[in-house]
Amino acid sequence: MGAVIECKNVTYSYPLAKEPAIKDLSLEIERGKFYGVVGENGSGKTTFCALLRGFAPSFYKGELKGEVLVEGKKTTDYGGELSAKIGYVFQNPFTQISGVKDTVFEEVAYGLENFGIPAEEIERRVVEVMQMTDIEALAMKSPFDLSGGQMQRVALASVIVLEPDILIIDEPTSQLDPEGTESVFAIIKTLKEKQKTIILVEHKIDLIAEYADEVLVFKDGQVIAAGDKRKILSDMSLLEKGASLPQVAVLGSMLKERGLPLSEIPVTEKQAIEVIARALEERKKQ
Amino acid sequence: MEKTYTERIQIHKTNKLAGLYPSVKLLVVVLYTVCTFVLGTVHFTRVDLSLLLIPWFLVIPILCASSGALGKCVKALKAVALIALIILLVQTFLVPGGEVLVRFGFLRICEKGLKTAVSLSFMIMNIAGIFVWLFQTTENKEIARALEESGMNYKAAYVFTSTLQMIDILSENSKTIMNAQKARGVETEGNMIVRAKAFFPSLVPLILGAVIGSEERVLTLEARGFSIQGEKTHLFNLEKSGAEKTAAAAAVMITILIIAGRIALWVL
Ligand SMILES: Nc1ncnc2c1ncn2[C@@H]1O[C@H](COP(=O)(O)OP(=O)(O)OP(=O)(O)O)[C@@H](O)[C@H]1O
Ligand SMILES: [Mg+2]
Repeated sequence: MGAVIECKNVTYSYPLAKEPAIKDLSLEIERGKFYGVVGENGSGKTTFCALLRGFAPSFYKGELKGEVLVEGKKTTDYGGELSAKIGYVFQNPFTQISGVKDTVFEEVAYGLENFGIPAEEIERRVVEVMQMTDIEALAMKSPFDLSGGQMQRVALASVIVLEPDILIIDEPTSQLDPEGTESVFAIIKTLKEKQKTIILVEHKIDLIAEYADEVLVFKDGQVIAAGDKRKILSDMSLLEKGASLPQVAVLGSMLKERGLPLSEIPVTEKQAIEVIARALEERKKQ
Repeated sequence: MEKTYTERIQIHKTNKLAGLYPSVKLLVVVLYTVCTFVLGTVHFTRVDLSLLLIPWFLVIPILCASSGALGKCVKALKAVALIALIILLVQTFLVPGGEVLVRFGFLRICEKGLKTAVSLSFMIMNIAGIFVWLFQTTENKEIARALEESGMNYKAAYVFTSTLQMIDILSENSKTIMNAQKARGVETEGNMIVRAKAFFPSLVPLILGAVIGSEERVLTLEARGFSIQGEKTHLFNLEKSGAEKTAAAAAVMITILIIAGRIALWVL
């Protein structure tokens, strides 16, 4: 496995900012794992993503201390090639269209055109991704005429089609209905099965609990907890620090406090059903 | 078999004029503009009016009609005509200088005013008219593709294309914002002054929105490999209508004739 991205004592301040947006961050992102990034508004999640992709400091300027390494090379030493390695989906879907294409099909194909992929292959890959993200019906529509949720899917498709090894996705479901949200997570799941490394910022903690491997909890520019999702999301002390935890975990810990002998604190619904059922069995036996 | 999307995004035009290769259209536009300036120097009557520009303007509707786009063009030309008319009136009545030709009450028409009024307003009609023809018969992506093919830097081509797209979008957005202002009680209908008062506040969100979006837009492009070096693929390809040589030859011939005629007038 090994680390694909490494942050070493990273402190980053935006230009003119009084306080750093990220403070002394050190962590490793391992290949093929799915990281869920959570934390309250303004805690530095987007800034963290921008740092991993090298947008900070190369685009946002500002001051970077420490280093961010992608496959062992500093982000500041990369040029345009980083776009082939890391796919990046931004938080705001409305600014994520190229602005020069007048159909969704061409919009999704735009990156592949830039990479100089042969036309027949572009057609094949774009159609495949449009089916996967459920936007094929929009193929001939103008990207400017889409709803927020449709745009978010087009933005996701435009990045997935490039087949990068690492995907950074910043709140891809903010504009989506529950069904759309589930389908985005299903897409991310298939990407994970293809051994992609995924870094996903998402407020919907229950979905993180279900799909992610690891969780990073941000607060005031620092990672206050990081590690296996079962460990992090069942840690009730995080609640006091303002983090939100899955409802089933909170419920589980309350049941445990009240004396139900749970073997562990569940973080997903499925796990909760199992754990609670087992505990109830046990209690009956006693 | 069903058509592929790559086939579906191509533009096929049956009309030979509308389907001209964009660079040939551009040649026509440039030559037409040259002719307009040349014809503008031919003066008639005692006060030297550039009257030839008036019949010359007939070329525009003929061109638009034979490109099968008269309806669309007339709509755009109406706006141009209004501006030209305002210029005509303002120049005619307000610019002093030279002999006073007519006087009604406090209004008077001077020689210089009438002269510049006629040449300026018809010059505008002609030049704007030919551009209307170009843009109404050519899609943005054809222009974009032609620019890149002409060897223009891809960054410059991007700026140009996205600006063309933005004009469409901004006019859409301004309608939305106008409606929002209306909902908040700002008067947007009525006379010029009322409209102007509504117009300026609506510009603020319009421009602000465009500027705020631009930062992430830059990064989005970056994430899609915009600045990657090397050959790019183009799914959309320009087509020739077959009338390119004829059209270019005709445009050049007419220009030569007009220039020759102008020189002949000088010499004779
Ligand atoms: N472009 C910028 N210039 C200056 N300061 C910024 C910029 N973007 C973010 N910040 C500041 O950096 C801090 C972290 O912001 P960031 O956008 O990373 O938070 P976030 O966790 O992504 O929040 P959200 O959940 O709202 O998306 C905030 O205090 C914010 O005000
Ligand atoms: Mg954010």
